[in-house]
Formats: sequence, C-alpha cells, structure tokens
Amino acid sequence: MAPRQSTPRTALSCGEVRTSLLPARQALDIRSAAGLLALRADERVLLSERPGLYARSPATLTGVDCPLPSANGARVRAVGTVTAHAALTEGRVLQTSAHCSLPATGPDQRRPWGEYLVRPGVVEPLGKLPHEAVARGVLDGPRRGDLDVGLIADGLLTRLLRHPLLDQRPPFRSRPTRLRWAALPAAPGEGPSLERFTLAEDELRTVRLRVPEDTAAADLAALCNDLALHDWLLTNVVRMLDGIRLGAPSAEDPGAAVRALRPAVDHLLHLWMPGARVTRELAALWGPLEERPGFTRQWQAMVQRIRDQLTLHTVQAVHREAEPAP
Amino acid sequence: MLVFAASDKGGTGRSVTSANLAYQRALTGDHVAYVDFDFGSPTAAAVFDVPGAMRGVEERGLHSYLEGESAEPVRIDVWRQTEHPLLRSRPNQSGRLVLFPGDIGGGEFATGDEALERCVDLLLRLNTEFDVTFVDLSAGRSYAVDMVLAATAHPRMRNLPFRWLIFHRWTRQHVIAASGLVHAEHGIIGSGIERGHDEDALRAAIRFVRAAVPDPEAPLGPQGSTAQATWMQARDEALRRLAAEYRIGDSVVLGIVPLEPILQWHEQLITEDDVLSTQIANKETLDALEEIARRLTDDTHWGRL
Amino acid sequence: MTESVFRETTAEPRTQSVPLAHLSVELGHLYMEDFEAGPERLRAHFTEVRPWVEAARAAATARAGGKRARVSTCFLIDDYFTRFSTPAEVVPTLLAEAERAGLTIDYLARESGCAVTGKIPVAESVAARIVESPPPGSHGLRPPAAQTGWLANGERSPVARAPQAMKRAVGWQPPHETAARRHSVFLDVELWSDDDGDRTWSCPFLAAVWQLARLGLLRNEGEAVLTPQPHTATAGFPDRWDDLPTLLKLNDRADPFAAYRTCSVLPTRFLPVEHAVRVILDQIEVDPGALAQVADRSGKERTAVPDSVADRISYVYYAGL
Repeated sequence: MAPRQSTPRTALSCGEVRTSLLPARQALDIRSAAGLLALRADERVLLSERPGLYARSPATLTGVDCPLPSANGARVRAVGTVTAHAALTEGRVLQTSAHCSLPATGPDQRRPWGEYLVRPGVVEPLGKLPHEAVARGVLDGPRRGDLDVGLIADGLLTRLLRHPLLDQRPPFRSRPTRLRWAALPAAPGEGPSLERFTLAEDELRTVRLRVPEDTAAADLAALCNDLALHDWLLTNVVRMLDGIRLGAPSAEDPGAAVRALRPAVDHLLHLWMPGARVTRELAALWGPLEERPGFTRQWQAMVQRIRDQLTLHTVQAVHREAEPAP
Repeated sequence: MLVFAASDKGGTGRSVTSANLAYQRALTGDHVAYVDFDFGSPTAAAVFDVPGAMRGVEERGLHSYLEGESAEPVRIDVWRQTEHPLLRSRPNQSGRLVLFPGDIGGGEFATGDEALERCVDLLLRLNTEFDVTFVDLSAGRSYAVDMVLAATAHPRMRNLPFRWLIFHRWTRQHVIAASGLVHAEHGIIGSGIERGHDEDALRAAIRFVRAAVPDPEAPLGPQGSTAQATWMQARDEALRRLAAEYRIGDSVVLGIVPLEPILQWHEQLITEDDVLSTQIANKETLDALEEIARRLTDDTHWGRL
Repeated sequence: MTESVFRETTAEPRTQSVPLAHLSVELGHLYMEDFEAGPERLRAHFTEVRPWVEAARAAATARAGGKRARVSTCFLIDDYFTRFSTPAEVVPTLLAEAERAGLTIDYLARESGCAVTGKIPVAESVAARIVESPPPGSHGLRPPAAQTGWLANGERSPVARAPQAMKRAVGWQPPHETAARRHSVFLDVELWSDDDGDRTWSCPFLAAVWQLARLGLLRNEGEAVLTPQPHTATAGFPDRWDDLPTLLKLNDRADPFAAYRTCSVLPTRFLPVEHAVRVILDQIEVDPGALAQVADRSGKERTAVPDSVADRISYVYYAGL
C-alpha cells in the first residue's frame, strides 16, 4: 500500500533572485533583520552568525495557473505554487528569491487546489513538460502572461521595502540586479555542473545548470542566491570605481575620490565569502567561475585598488599639510 | 534627489527643458532617471530621440505600472537606445541616463490609494539607484501633480529630498498662470498643505524657470529698429514688476532659458556639438541649461527667502 | 553529503511532533441555544450520534487492517461568539448526558482557543497561511481580485467599475468555481469582520482551525499549538471559561487527540459551515514540517492518509433537531 504518492521526478527547476542594497542608513542588526523578515507570525526567521550575519525569512507560496515560457512556442499550461523567501546579508544586502520545480509529466486536468498545496514549490505541467524548451524560455525571459517567477520575487521585494524599519536613506547609490536560473537534469552518474553564466542586458544575469535528479530545489536556490550576491558585489564596486576620476585630485575637490570609495569600505568589502551558505556538492560549481573570469581575482584586484587609492589620498593630504603656506 | 517639472500651460518648453537638464546632469557624472508623468502627451522619448517609444510604449509603461497591471515599468537606457548620433557614444565619465516612458494612449486617470503606494514604491526605488530623478508632470493642476504631492507627503518619503521647477514663458498670461499654479487657493502650495506638507518647507523647495525668453537688449535681426528695442525693454521691465507682484519675481527664479530658435523648430537636446561645430544652437542657451542644472543641487539657490 | 561539523540552532528549522491517533471523532458543538434548550436537547443529540460513532470506529479499524485503531473523541463548546453559564455548571451536565448515551468525551475544547491560545494568535497565524487558489491566467503578478477578509472557491463576478467616457458599461457576468465540473457551485466565505479594530473570526474560519488542530497540523515557531492539558477529577470545573484550559483531556486512557483523519457527527444545519471549512482548508498551506511528520508516521504504520488536507476530514450529518 502506497500511503502517499511519491513526488514525481523533477525535470526542471528554475528561479529568479533580486539583489539590492537595503535602503537604510545603518545596517540592520540581527534582531532588526529578524523583524524585517518576519513574513509570518508563526514561523521563525532563520538567523546565522557564522561566517557572517545572515537572516532568512520563512518561505511564502504563490499560486500560479498559466502557460510556461518556452523557446519553441509550445504553450504548456502548468499549475502549482512558487516558493519565495527573502534574505539579508550583514544587515546590508537584501535578496528576494522565487523558485519552483517542474516534474516531467503531470495530470491532464487541474487537480483540486489542496493537492498542490501539500507540494510547496512544485509547478506541475498539464501533460508532458518540454523541459529543454521551457528552460530556454525561462532564461530568455517570459512573454506577458507566461509564468514569471521574477514577478513573485519582485512582489516580495516591494512588500519588504514598505517595512517601517527602513528609513529609505541608502548610504550610496547602487544598482539592483536580477539573476534568473534554470537547472536541468545531469546525465546519469554525472555530478552538478554550471553550463553558463551570462551577463545579459543591464542588470540581468542568467545561469544555466545541470544537476543530479535528487538535488533539492532549495539547495539550488541557495547556490543561486550566493552567485547573485557576489555578482552584485562585483557589479556595484566596479560601478563605484568607474565613477571616480583617477589621477591627481582636482584642486576644487580633493576629497571626491575618498567620498566615492568610502561606502565600499564601510559597507561592502567584508561581504565577499563565496560558497559560504551552499551545500558542499554545489559549492564546487564556484570552481569554473573562479578559474575564468576569476570572480575572486577581480574582487581582490578591486579591493587592492580601492585601498591604494585611499592610501594615496592620505599621503597627499599629509603632504599638503606639511607644505609651508604661500 | 527628486526634481518635479511642472507648468500651468502647455507650450512652456517644460518637457524639452527638463530633458535637457537631465542630460546635463548625466554629463557631469550623475546617474539620472527621467520619469514621464506627462500623462496624455508623453514627449520625452522624442526629445531623447528614442524611436521605439515616441508616443509611449505598447505595454508595461508607467500607466500600467501605477494601475498594477505590471510589476515594473519599462526603462530605456538613453545612451544605448537613442538614435541621436552624438548621444549614442556615451560621453566619457557620464552617468547613466534612463527614461521611464508612459504607455501609448495612457491618458489621465483617477489615482487611488494603491496607485499612490505604487508611485511611492517607484520613487523610493529610483532614489536608491539614481542621484537625480526628474519627474515631468502633465500641465496644469493635473492628477500627476496631485499624486506626487501626496507621494512626497507620505511617511515613507520623509527622508527623500525633492524640489519643484515651475516652467513658464515670459508673457503676461504665462506669468499670471504660473503664479496661479503655485499660489492660488488649490495651487501646489495649497494642495500640498492639505496633504500634509509643511508650508514653509514646500515653498522653499519651489523655484521658477523662465523659458523661451527673448533678449530685450538684442534687436530682432537686421530689420530691428531702436523703437522696437525700447518697446521690448519697457515690456521686460513691466513683466518683471508683474512677476514680483505675483510672487514669482527674480528671487525665486532658478534660471532663464533664452529664446532658442532650434527649440522652436524641433524639441531636442542641445549638445556642445550643436554650439561649437555645427553652430545651430546659441552658446547662451547651452550656458543657461548648464547653469540651471548645476543650481538644482546648489543649496544657495534654494531655501526660504 | 558529509555533515558539517559546525551547527547553529537558530539557523535550522525544527518542528515539534505530536502523538497521533488514527481517527478523531467529534461528538458535537455546543452553542448557547443548545444549552438553553435543556439537557433533553443534549440527550437527543447524543442518542443520534451514538450509532455513527460506532460506524466511524469500525471504519477506522477496517482501514488499520483489522488491528486496533487508535480513536479519540472530542467535543467543542462555543465560548467565543456567546458566553453563557459556567464550566462548573455546563461540563458535568454535558458529560452525564454523553455517558447516559454510552459515549465518552476524551477531550473538551473551547472555541476561543481556536482564535487565541495563551499568547499565540492561532487564527491570525492560520489566516497568514492562506494561499489562494489561482484562477487560470495567474502568472505571478499579484492577484488583482483578492478581497480582504473573504475567501472564495473561484473567481467572483467582475465589479462594475464606473465606465470611462465612450465605453459601455458591461453587463452582469457570473462568478466561476475554479474546480467546476461544467457548472459552478460558487462559494465566498467571510473569514472575519473588523469592528473598531476588534477582529471577530467567523465560525467557518475557527472551525477550519479546529480541524487543523485535530489533524495535528498546527504549529507556532515549530512548537505544537493546542496541546491537551490533563484534568484531575478532584479539581472539578472552574466558574469562569477563561480558567478552563483551551483543550482539556478528560479521559486518562484516551488515545491521542490529534489524528490522521477526522470525522464530525453534526446536525444537517451545519452543512453550509462545513462546506466553507472545506473551501478554507483547501487553500491553507499547513506547516510543511508537520505535514512531513504525518506522512512519515503514517507511512511507517502503513496507514493511508490523503494528500490533500481537506480530504482528511469527513462528516456524518443527521437530520432534525
């Protein structure tokens, strides 16, 4: 006797992560972070202090019943729930993330809703899932009316940004990013692999993965949150360095470069910890990114450059003071 | 910082001037957003020469966003999507310049509480990303004006600085109308107080820009007579007295944009190239735009008088 | 995967488990008007209920494969919508009438415990777990038709908005039950009403909470909610409802309060309320940890439990009274 239908095997997992600077003058301490992320009265916010302050909200579910995006124009209807949660790193970087898993096949008709609710985060196709085409459709971006997990991540972000704890005084201008991901099954016996990490237009990044069938969607979401966080750090520190005029400080405003770079030191430089909250199997996927283009290499080069700039400015300031007045 | 661009009447050069101010700020390295709340007649895309959105966008424009039909409004990166040959090569050391267009056929609509919350969401998000956000508002005491007055009085917006620019032409009717827009019973200050603004603070954040002002010292071409010049100087003097009487005198003027022939012909950005190499635009116009753009964040030009 | 050496307890979710019977049988609800009608009303009720309880017990035994099925009984008293009499007066009469009919009440619950138990706002937490059934076309944008305080089993009739100039007003359009088989049975349930900041939960909503409690699916920050308190025969019953535990264990030897399935024996007039309960339960995302514990334990016991929470509850309606 099978008491409970086993959940059918996952043919595709996909999600989207929004990463942005928390709009508050001070970084939130762990208790305020728990207050911000308390999406539900009856569920705890998960708090972690090693290797850095990290808070994660309970998951929320959103019901969907719509066509799936697909690259070949197939309009496969799917029904189920998308899981979303929010996370705050060092009280400073806010991420909202939505994801779902799609089994290879589903029933011909929509089931009673309660049957979907007992499988949170699963969106079932009606009939067979053209998983390769849907994976491409997800990464290319859904057409209007297609399943769009990004909207769900954005809805949660909007909800959090309305929280009264936030004074809406960001310490510096920053660029929010979006990271869309899709994970297809790896060949039998193969481990997980990162097929492609693309910097697309503006603030969009896409990640394509191959993973063993038993990989939990929540673990994949954790990996992609981690990738998104570090990509966001690179994006924003690059932007900060772009904005300063190098060379001798201009006569009228010698402190401009210091002012531009200081937020990086105050708020960002200590956040770099790739793979810290990712399962061991999936943390290995950082390998190829570290090899080429070398995320950590670029980060370290920029950190060095920021420190050198600040040192130079200190030296010049001391030098100016030492000069006799004309 | 938020900069609201308003005018009582159409044809004041509000959109074209504020687009030029946005462009000037971006050139100095600021990241700039330009939000087209000119419901009914979106023109910003034309000024920035973005062909895909000349009369607004097909979907996901600001109207759809405010009505809750889309989660995020479309954004157009001007440097990348413009057809203007000079703008396309993004000037060195310039900041981002991003246009948020309205929808095609959007028109004016009644705003509700939810639209207001969404407006606040949008302005706050832009504030995290951009140094300056220009909001071009439909002419007159429109829904757009009401909405941003309510939005800026919203508790969530308490830490977000904003300034108003009121554009008007240099004629008797325009001076009276511009004063009415601000000072009349249901004008910007009156409605602002009703929505919870502090009167002094709001007054301190409003400045006027006189647009398309002819130079009374300059004769009108070779045919210009001394009599004409004398008459113009007298009119100019009378208008100054009128403006002062209507509480929009020189002390609350942020800048004066001279009458610029090419803007009469074509609503466009005035670039350095237009002044220096092709010489189709006047240097005075460019100087005025640069100066007003600079004064936007120069506190000595703002505050209580 | 090799376990990590380092652990942080605040960083890991945990869910307390509760003991589970096979079946929880509800012997009735008591409202003020029932009590005012005198002990004869209770007597008639329990006489009607008795045979159905036997039948439910037999069915549970059959489902357990002929082994002894763990079955507990419970009774719910309304102290939420109307306050009447005292526990000291009501409870002994109730127990006597049940005993006279050959029934044992294992657990006694107060309805207000489904709203708030101790400091835990149970009803509010459950309300926050509603995930509305998406009508076709829901692709991730916030549902436009959400009606605060109401929950439907489908799409409501579109509201006639003031037509814009040059546009014609649209005629009436019917509501639509999402799971309709050809024709709709549309139901829209009021979950609560607010009166000057005071929220009153509706009877169907509290009944849905009650069902979740009986199914062992309520948790607060991972801890079990509405756990039974023992009753000592010598203590008697208090004079104030608030002094009575929200869930009282009257029978020392009773099987666990919570169960894989529930059965309620009620007069037919409760049918609309219980339809609403199903509509609510069908749209509540219960604690996944609690759900997994039930699945795990029932699997080990080789006892079938329906996936859908709404399908774990059943009713016997009797006519009259």
